[in-house]
Amino acid sequence: MSSLKTWKKVLLSILIALVVAVCIFPFVWMLMTSLKTRVQAINPAIWIFTPTLENYRSVFQKRDLLLYIKNSAIVVVTTTAISIFLGTLAAYGFARFHFSRKEDVAFWILSLRMLPPMAVVIPFFLLGRFLGLLDTHILLAIVYLSFNIPFTIWMMRGFIEEIPQEIEEAALIDGCSRLRVLTKIVFPLTLPGIAATAIFCVIQSWNEFALAFFLTSFNARTVPTTVTFFLSVMGIIWGEMAAVGVVASIPVLAFAFVVQKYLVRGLTFGAIKS
Amino acid sequence: MRKRKKREAYSFILPSLATLVAIVIFPTIFLWYVSLTNYDLSMGWEQKSFVGPRNYFFLFFEDKDFWHSLRITLFFTAVTVSLEFVLGLGVALLFHRHIWGKRVWMSCLILPMVITPTIISLIWKLMLNTEYGVLNFILSQLGLGKINWLGPKEAFWSLILVDVWEWTPFIALILYAGLQALPQEPYEAAVVDGANPRQIFFYLTLPLLKPMIIIALLLRSIDALKMFDVVYGLTQGGPGNATELMSLHIYRLGFRHTNWIGRASANAVILLFLSTLLTTVLLRTLRRERLGGA
Repeated sequence: MSSLKTWKKVLLSILIALVVAVCIFPFVWMLMTSLKTRVQAINPAIWIFTPTLENYRSVFQKRDLLLYIKNSAIVVVTTTAISIFLGTLAAYGFARFHFSRKEDVAFWILSLRMLPPMAVVIPFFLLGRFLGLLDTHILLAIVYLSFNIPFTIWMMRGFIEEIPQEIEEAALIDGCSRLRVLTKIVFPLTLPGIAATAIFCVIQSWNEFALAFFLTSFNARTVPTTVTFFLSVMGIIWGEMAAVGVVASIPVLAFAFVVQKYLVRGLTFGAIKS
Repeated sequence: MRKRKKREAYSFILPSLATLVAIVIFPTIFLWYVSLTNYDLSMGWEQKSFVGPRNYFFLFFEDKDFWHSLRITLFFTAVTVSLEFVLGLGVALLFHRHIWGKRVWMSCLILPMVITPTIISLIWKLMLNTEYGVLNFILSQLGLGKINWLGPKEAFWSLILVDVWEWTPFIALILYAGLQALPQEPYEAAVVDGANPRQIFFYLTLPLLKPMIIIALLLRSIDALKMFDVVYGLTQGGPGNATELMSLHIYRLGFRHTNWIGRASANAVILLFLSTLLTTVLLRTLRRERLGGA
């Protein structure tokens, strides 16, 4: 009986190891490829080698990766800042007031988060063309509000509803204005929530491809669109492709580990609070 | 007093609401309008004319690729979501016990779903290459033959493989959170009543997890339906139209070869309709859960 238990334990450990290995192997393989020379990179039999940073040097020097990172950063910071500001205010409205059809409005807002990018990109593209805004950071930042604001409202609503209302009521009775209640009580108490929500906005915006692909061409091109350099199979420099992948992934991974605690909550827009 | 409160509530909500109406509702109405015109990118905006539902007729009666893309999109959604559910539930159960270093292992699960999707397509392109890819290398080391992963017959299944890799952890994490939050009492009662593990799983765990399962599956279905980035990076809909999901078909109609913005818009309206159907079901579930749970 006890040997059966040991076997079961060993088997389960092997399964867990397998799941973890499958999850991280592709990333590790990309990391390895990025550190190989041009010839080594197309030989999958090489697992041990002297790493070289040649690929990283060439993606920054020849492929303007730094420009794309800068573009991504401008768009991401702008859209996140606006979303957090507008979204948190709206979240407070939903969390603390009662009015007719409140939930209808709230759920309608949430439904916007699910819009297929290919369904909205055509009007954005045409309107951007008419307004001469194609290939600008601001257009992309505004378009990204369409998924960031609904997300922020739902995340922040949950966080605000978690703080006891009595503190605010006491402050209001003492003659505090709503604005002071917000800046002195609500914001400080929900700061971890605001940080987590902002990080989710950053990750979503950083990763977005379809809209960026159609709405930018050179000046405002973001990191995910660099995939188009590597579409044809012929003549791809594998090491460079992998280096771009590693550089693009590192900020996202770093941010993701920071908000790991809130991940399930973020993935379900605050519906499931684990 | 009541009225003043209402006005105060709207003063918080209105800025967001106005922004969303301006950047989502207005463009959506514009999309419907364009879908009723014959506009294409090579002509001036004034030259277009109103053609009524003709673009829709084109898609339904003339464009075989439209039906193909609809069929494979629905098939792709059904297959990936089912596989991700079964595997995700397995992984969630696997982790639902005392494990040494669990936090670290769980962090690894996050990797596939947070990495930029286009980068994921690059990673897999690297690994799926017939000649130089590591998957075929491993297969040949095991004495199995090479597979033409991105060939005409195989590409669609490779796409499913990538999607399952990317999103199984998503389902696993949600269901794991669900398992961790299950109440203890029903389990104690079941053990007292002499239920076996199989019965406990099917008559207790699954029904208790049901709301979580529904939410996770709906979220995944909506995402699978609108999939664009990974397919674009991996195959661009090819070879031929083997992986031309609906988003890719819209792209081909509107931007790639033909510039038929009117027809592409009609297809976009159809995609919007499909995703709205699923979203409505999802929101209804969320709403019920919110009222029941909170």
